[in-house]
Amino acid sequence: MKQKRFYRIVTVLTVLALTLSAFASLAGAQEAAKVATFAWTQEPDSLNPFYTDMWFATLMHQVYLCWAWQFDDQAVAYPHLVTELPSVENGGVSEDGLTITLNLRDDITWSDGEPITSADFQFTYDMVMTDANTVNSQYPYDYLDSVETPNDLTVVMNFAEPFAPWLANFWRGILPKHILEPIFESEGSLIEAEWNEAPTVGCGPYVFDEWESGSYIRFVKNQNYWLGEANIDEIFFQFVPDDAAQTAALIAGDADLGTFPPLSDVPVMQNAGINVLSVNGGYSEIWFFNFRDMASPGAKDINVRKAVTMALDRNAIVDDLMLGLTQTGETMWDPLTAYGYVSPDITPWEYDPDGARQLLEDSGWIDRDGDGIREDADGNPLTLYHGTTIREIRQDIQAVAQQQLLQVGIDLQIMSEDSDIFFGSYSDGASCATGSVDVMEWSDAPFFPDPDTDYWLCDQVPNDENPWGYNYFGCDETLDALFRSQLVETDPTARTEIFHDITQYMHDQVYLIPLYIDPDIWLINPRLTNVTISGVTPFYSIMSWDITE
Amino acid sequence: MTRYIIRRILQAIPLLFIISVLLFVLMINTGDPLATMGGRKATRPEDRARLARQLGLDQPIYKQYIYWLIGNDWALIDMDGDGILETPGSRLGVLRGDFGNSLISRGKAVIEIIWDRLPNTLILMIPAEIIVIIVSLIVGIYSALRQYSLIDHTVTALSFIGYSMPIFFVALVSMYIFGVNFKRWGLPYLPTVGMFDPKMGKTTVQIIWHMILPIFSMTVITAAGYSRFVRSQMLEVISEDYIRTARSKGLPQRLVISRHALKNAALPLVTIVGLDVPLLLAGAVVTETIFAWPGMGRLFIDHLSRSDTPVVMGILMMISVAVVFSQLITDIIYAWLDPRIRYT
Repeated sequence: MKQKRFYRIVTVLTVLALTLSAFASLAGAQEAAKVATFAWTQEPDSLNPFYTDMWFATLMHQVYLCWAWQFDDQAVAYPHLVTELPSVENGGVSEDGLTITLNLRDDITWSDGEPITSADFQFTYDMVMTDANTVNSQYPYDYLDSVETPNDLTVVMNFAEPFAPWLANFWRGILPKHILEPIFESEGSLIEAEWNEAPTVGCGPYVFDEWESGSYIRFVKNQNYWLGEANIDEIFFQFVPDDAAQTAALIAGDADLGTFPPLSDVPVMQNAGINVLSVNGGYSEIWFFNFRDMASPGAKDINVRKAVTMALDRNAIVDDLMLGLTQTGETMWDPLTAYGYVSPDITPWEYDPDGARQLLEDSGWIDRDGDGIREDADGNPLTLYHGTTIREIRQDIQAVAQQQLLQVGIDLQIMSEDSDIFFGSYSDGASCATGSVDVMEWSDAPFFPDPDTDYWLCDQVPNDENPWGYNYFGCDETLDALFRSQLVETDPTARTEIFHDITQYMHDQVYLIPLYIDPDIWLINPRLTNVTISGVTPFYSIMSWDITE
Repeated sequence: MTRYIIRRILQAIPLLFIISVLLFVLMINTGDPLATMGGRKATRPEDRARLARQLGLDQPIYKQYIYWLIGNDWALIDMDGDGILETPGSRLGVLRGDFGNSLISRGKAVIEIIWDRLPNTLILMIPAEIIVIIVSLIVGIYSALRQYSLIDHTVTALSFIGYSMPIFFVALVSMYIFGVNFKRWGLPYLPTVGMFDPKMGKTTVQIIWHMILPIFSMTVITAAGYSRFVRSQMLEVISEDYIRTARSKGLPQRLVISRHALKNAALPLVTIVGLDVPLLLAGAVVTETIFAWPGMGRLFIDHLSRSDTPVVMGILMMISVAVVFSQLITDIIYAWLDPRIRYT
C-alpha cells in the first residue's frame, strides 16, 4: 500500500516536472528579432509630453518623440530638428534677446512620411496655450509673446522680455499637426485624443506600437527615421513596480535595463555582472531651511544653520547610506559645476562638531537645564522640525541626522509624509506650504542643464492669496533680485557672474544644505551594448544601442 | 424569497449613497493630486492654480461630490481664469454611468481604466481562490479525520508557518528560488515579473506560466488559514449525532463525509468565501505589485498614492457594490445549504 502511494507521488511529481519543462520551452521560445526590455518602476500617465511631467514618462521621449535639440552624455546641447543652435553669433538670437529664430532641417519627417515643418511648432505652441487642453504645464511657453512661421522651415519665437533659460526648456516634444488638428477641431480639445496614449505617428528612432495597461509599452523601429535605422528592432518598457522585483528581473536576465534602484541593491547587481552607470541629471538631495516668520527661532538664526551644517557628517551619510556612490555638495548647482555657475570662492563646510558647539555657545544657545538640548536666553529649546517624504533613504537620513545633531545639543524632531500630502497647498494646511517644518528634505534641481530656478522668488511664498506658491523657505529681497536679474540676462558671462553671487550668497546664509549630489543610477545588462545616457535626454543615442548575445 | 431580494436591493441604495459620501470626503482629504504633477520637481504655482480651476479641484467638497454624482453638464466652468463661467461642463455623473476621467491619466475614462485591469485581476484571483478552497478543504478534512496523527501535527505546523509569513516574503523568496536561482542552476525556471513575456505575446500558455508564482504565494498564505478553519469545523461536525447515525446506518465513510459532514462544515466557509468575492475584484495589492501583475490592486495603489479621486472612487464603489451583492448571494446560498433558514 505504502509502495503504491510512493509510486503515485513519484508519478505526479514527474508529470509536474515534465509539464513545467514543456511550459518553459513553450514560453521561452527564442525570437530572431533584437528585442530589448527595460524594467520601468512607474507606468507613464500619458505619452503626450504635455500631459505628464512624470520622470519615467519624460525619460522615454527620445524613443518616440523629437526635441528641437537634444543633449549628449555631457549634457551639452546639439541640434536635432534644427540646422544649428540659435545664438547671437549666428543671428539666431537677437541682440536684445527678444527674438529667437529656429531654422529647421529640410529632411525631417514624421514616422508616416509627412514632413515636420514650422506649422507643427506653431500648432504645438497653440495647443499648449489653449485652456481647453488643460495641459500639465504651460511653462515655458507662457513666456512667449507669439510664435511666427514665415515659411515651412523657419520658426520665430517672440518674447516680451529676454528669457535666458530657453535652451533647456523649449520644444521638448513637437505635436503632429496633421494628426491632432482634425481632432482638436472636431472635439474642441486634445484631452481625449487617442494619440495621447497611442502616438502611432511619432518622430523618434522608434514608433509606438502597443500599450498593454499595467504590463508594457512596445515600440518598434521607425522605418522613416531621417537619421537612419536603429540597431535594436523592438523596445519594451515593462512595468515592474516593486524595487526588489526589478532587481530580480535584471539579475535573472528578464530585463536589459532599469533605473532608480534602491541603492542597497546596487552591490548585489554589480556582483551579478550588471553594469551600473551613474548619470548626472542635475539633482541634489537637499535640506532646505524655512526662515519665514513662523519658523522656529533656531531655523531663523544663521548661526544655528551654520552649526547644523558643521554638526552634520555628510561624508558618513554618503559612505554609509549611499554606499559611497556619490559625493557631498555645497550648493544646489553643484551638478552644474562644469558649466562654471558655482562660485569658485565658496569654502566647503567641514564636519566640525566642536566648532558647531562653540558657535552655538557664542550665539547664546546654551544647555541651561542640563537635558542635553540647548536653549536660548528665554529658555526656548533649540528644536528644529524636519519633514520629508516617505522615501526610505530620507527616513534613514533623518534618523542618522537626529543622532548627529543631538551630539551638539540640537533637538531634531522628524516626520515624513506621502508626497501628495507633503507638497500639498497652503489652503490644505500642508507642512511645507504652511511652514510647520523648519527643515525640508527632498531631491531637486534647477532647470537642468540651465541653472534657473524660481523657488526663492518673494512672490512665490505661499499664503492665502497664493496658496500654491512654492517658496516654502522665505523672502530674501537680495536673493529675489539676483534670481530675477539672471532670468533676463542674455549675456552668458554676465549671467554666470550672477550665479556666482547667488551660490556664494546662499552658501554664506546657509539657506540650504546639499547632502549629496543625487545622480540617476542606470542598471544595464551586459548584453545591451553601446549604451550612453544623457542626464537631460537619456536615450539620445538609443538608435546606436545594440544587443550582443 | 423574491420579495426579500428586492427589499435587500432597495436597502442597498441608501447604504451605497452613504458609503459614497464617506469615501469621497476621505479621498478628497487624503492628498493633493496637483502636488505631484510636476514629476520630480514641484508643480509650478501658476500651473497648479490653472489646473485646479480647469479640473474643478478648487470647488468646495460638496460641489465636487455633486458633480461626481450627477455630472456637471448643467453647470459652467471658468476655463481661462478670467473670472467668468463660460464653458459648459461635460461630465454626466455616476448616476448616469459616467465615473469621470482620471486626473493623472488625463482624458482617460475611469470605466476604461478599470476595465483594462479587471479581467487581469479575475484571471489571477479566481483560480487562486479556487485553489485555496480546494487545498484548504483537502488539508482541513484530511487533518480533521486524522486528528493528532503525525500528518495532522505536520500540517498544523506548516499551516502556522504559512499563516505567520507575510506575503511579500513568500513572494520574494519564491521569486528568487524559482525565478533567479533555478535559472542559475540550469533548471526550468519561472518568470519573475509580468503577466506574460511581452516578446512572446499574451498567449494562454504565457499567462498560465506567469500565474504560477503569484498563485503559489497567495495560496500558501490563505490556504494555511482556511485549512485550520475547515479542520475545526469538521472536527465539530463529525462528532454530531447525525453523523453517528449515518455511520450506524452503514453509509460508507466517503458518503458520510462528503454528503453530510462537509455540507454542514462548509456553511461558515461560505460566509468567508462570500466576503472574499469583493476582494477578487479588488485584487491582491502586494502580490500584484511584487510580480508586476497588471491588476486592480496595483491600479488602486498607483492612483491612491497620487490622490486620483475619480479612479479610486470608481474602484471603491465597484467593491462596495460587490460587497452588498455578494452578501446577498451568500445569504441565498446559506438558505440552500441549510433548509432551516428561511428569508421573508
